[in-house]
Amino acid sequence: MAQMNPEIAAPKPFFDGRSLTRNIIQRRSWFIAFILIDIFVLYSIANNQELIEAWDYIVVGIGVTVQITILSFVISIIVGLIVALGRISKNIIIYNISTLYVELFRGLPLLVIILIFAFVVTPALVDLIAGTETLPGIPFLDNIIQNIVGIDPAVIETTTLRARDINPVVRIVFAFAVTYGAFMSEVFRAGIESIGRGQMEAARSLGMNYVEAMRHVILPQAIRNVLPALANNFILLLKDTSLASVVAVPEISHLTRQYASNRFRYPEGLLILSFIYANVTILMSLGVIYLEHKLQQDKHDD
Amino acid sequence: MTDLPANESDERFLEEPIIRVRNASKAFGAVKALRNVSLDVYAGEVIVIIGPSGSGKSTLLRCINRLETVNSGEIWVEDVQVNNPKCDINRVREEVGMVFQSFNLFPNLSVMGNLMLAQTVVRKRNRAEAEQIARRLLIKVGIPEKADVYPAKLSGGQQQRVAIARALAMNPKIMLFDEPTSALDPEMIKEVLDVMLDLAKEGMTMVVVTHEMGFARAAANRIIFMDQGEKIVETTPIELFENPQHDRLKQFLGKIL
Repeated sequence: MAQMNPEIAAPKPFFDGRSLTRNIIQRRSWFIAFILIDIFVLYSIANNQELIEAWDYIVVGIGVTVQITILSFVISIIVGLIVALGRISKNIIIYNISTLYVELFRGLPLLVIILIFAFVVTPALVDLIAGTETLPGIPFLDNIIQNIVGIDPAVIETTTLRARDINPVVRIVFAFAVTYGAFMSEVFRAGIESIGRGQMEAARSLGMNYVEAMRHVILPQAIRNVLPALANNFILLLKDTSLASVVAVPEISHLTRQYASNRFRYPEGLLILSFIYANVTILMSLGVIYLEHKLQQDKHDD
Repeated sequence: MTDLPANESDERFLEEPIIRVRNASKAFGAVKALRNVSLDVYAGEVIVIIGPSGSGKSTLLRCINRLETVNSGEIWVEDVQVNNPKCDINRVREEVGMVFQSFNLFPNLSVMGNLMLAQTVVRKRNRAEAEQIARRLLIKVGIPEKADVYPAKLSGGQQQRVAIARALAMNPKIMLFDEPTSALDPEMIKEVLDVMLDLAKEGMTMVVVTHEMGFARAAANRIIFMDQGEKIVETTPIELFENPQHDRLKQFLGKIL
């Protein structure tokens, strides 16, 4: 994953007319250029039958892309928050388990994790539920199914459930969630550690227990401090969903590959794909800039 | 709080001390912060702890509500042994307010939010009741007009008065002050000390670590002088300032007076 830092605009709430113009030229030229390119591409698409075809074919995947992004983001935030608390825990068992998790999933390439989830974890789960044995050397799986899950493998017809029957979004979301959970936990941990020790001491000296102090005093401040970093991770996650195309999840990258290879129209497909990604991420980036700007202002207002 | 009025003389009360420190020792690595310190504090007393920096004053204070734990010895607050890991320390802390050198107000909450949070979370008061108490305390510390302001907009002296009010909102039996005026500009020290003097007059049990000798003279029932983790002198303000006996105390007073 390439780290990307969206450019931070200088926070200045009010402008007079002349400095507003100067400010736009100095700080917003990139955006004007982007809009101009955008208009040019849109114009090309509207006037080119092949590009319109590509657009129609690919754009239906946006729903899946957005679904994967949002679901993974929500789950990874929950995972990240829990793991971050584990990473700062004084309990050595909790600390070591959460550290192992972070180091492991930060160390594995996202693509590898996606492949593992698609070709190992999901089939294994399906087999577990369907009761067929495909993992050689793990006969105790049947026992688990019978004794713990309470299903007799013999009763279930093996044809009732297959990996491909499972919703592709569900199939892939956990790969993203565990990977990004590891990154998010580091973001949250940095946020929590950025809050001075005095805050915890003040909360505890008022009789709050650790959980109450975390919930009411530390986390509200920590999360506020890391909001831009979280938003940045959201953009990275959105772009990384393109990796799901390798396991045939019908998001926009996968549809582009299908379209391009079926009709030998790679330039058209890739232009449309880039156009979609660039516009969605630029919207997010503007959101991040706005967020940082707003937080900066709030700090001055306080 | 206490049934007895604040006693101006050094006469000890007949009741049990509200804080008992017995042979407390504490080391941070090789540095011995406390060496065998013992101390009794009776209800309604104002104890001022003075001494050069690094003498263990703050550590002693922080051990009383277990922000630090002692390595050996015992600390009792009322009938709870604070340094026993099994004791319910949160119940002790409800009764022991603390004011820090760096204020430690919650910057994400308004003044009202700061005053109401622990009341609602810990004391389980409803919002209306908590708000009423908070407003009364803001009047008491002299800044009722700052109720809805955020801490960053307040001066240091105002922040520290909010911090005192925040601790008082829990109706503590004891107040610990850890160098409450050391981070303040000189012109703001008085407004904080005035609030503390009022508290002392009302009979609040207070343990105060400070360099403000004027406050020590005016409010303390007893003054403790500490150096290098040891309690060197424990005596009345008059005795301490008019007729210091110990060499190290004389040295210290010579430097600051």
